[in-house]
Amino acid sequence: MKTVETEVGAILAGTISAITQRSIFNRLGGLAARPIQQLTAQDRLAIMAELESSVRLFARRNSAELIASCAQALAGGAAAPGGGNGPGTAGSAGTPGTSGTAGDAAGSTKRLSIDQEKDIATARLEAWSEAVRIGLSKFTSVKVATAVSELARNIIFYGGKGFVELKSTKDDRGPTLQIVASDKGPGIEPRKLEEIWAGTYKSQRGMGKGLVAVKKLVDDFHLDTGPGRGTTVTCLFRGER
Amino acid sequence: MKDESLPIIQIRNCLLVSIQTELHDRLALGLQESLMERVRSADAKGVILDVSAVEVIDSYITRILNDIGKSVRFMGAECYIVGIRPAVAMTLIEMGVELDSVHTALNLDLALEKLELLQS
Repeated sequence: MKTVETEVGAILAGTISAITQRSIFNRLGGLAARPIQQLTAQDRLAIMAELESSVRLFARRNSAELIASCAQALAGGAAAPGGGNGPGTAGSAGTPGTSGTAGDAAGSTKRLSIDQEKDIATARLEAWSEAVRIGLSKFTSVKVATAVSELARNIIFYGGKGFVELKSTKDDRGPTLQIVASDKGPGIEPRKLEEIWAGTYKSQRGMGKGLVAVKKLVDDFHLDTGPGRGTTVTCLFRGER
Repeated sequence: MKDESLPIIQIRNCLLVSIQTELHDRLALGLQESLMERVRSADAKGVILDVSAVEVIDSYITRILNDIGKSVRFMGAECYIVGIRPAVAMTLIEMGVELDSVHTALNLDLALEKLELLQS
């Protein structure tokens, strides 16, 4: 059966890596597995909004062509009955009703829940695209994605469940991206925390180096933790200028 | 979902794995195990892991790569990581994590060349 995932996946193959494709489809949620035939006009809009930003971000070449091909595939090839929503409408990025990020210009907040291992990849991709969107450099954006990856992994490994929040602002000093990673897990004991910062702590699963690594990557770092309190990391990336 | 594994390709006496998917715990352990098995059965001298499709390498992935490198070394072979992206390399440096149990090469070709030199 032709689903959104099989059709779009076939178009993106070779241009966007399988890892990134996975994350894109994860972000589409239930829509990814939906047969092309059963898509409503609204579904198509939602999918295209997601694909347009992701493809533009990750395709190394001819993203416009890819986006157009995706739109065509979603329209079910040639005969798309009713709706009149032909393949040509791929460029309708600013269509009202397309729910993108809230408050594009001034600043926005996005909260991503981290409940299972696959959420790590999704959070990483979200953080990356947010960093690029607000104008952080390519290198900084990779650092943002790496930091979120570490923090989200810590939540899954040690906290169980939690969330990552991305807050972007833009002022005359340039763009900033604040990341808050929080869980209601057991928290970190003071003695363990000392070992972590000293670099002598070794957990069974990770290297116990995630927090240290994040601290080195970011421009500003704050940790709130303790037994029974859970753990909340707040950190900040600043754009150049 | 279940029983997924990464394909291992043999080129002469080297084993090649291209990492194209999210490396989670189970997958990484499976890869380590099957690589060691294959190193033995194929009498391989080298293992090459291609990470050119991996956009983000964090400390956890680094640990996995180092672990694979160590286990391959215990078997008497050498492990090469190829295709690390520039931004990823810069990030690893800033984080202060080391890829010290593996060799690195710019691409597959150069890794094969280096492994060949090792054998002569």
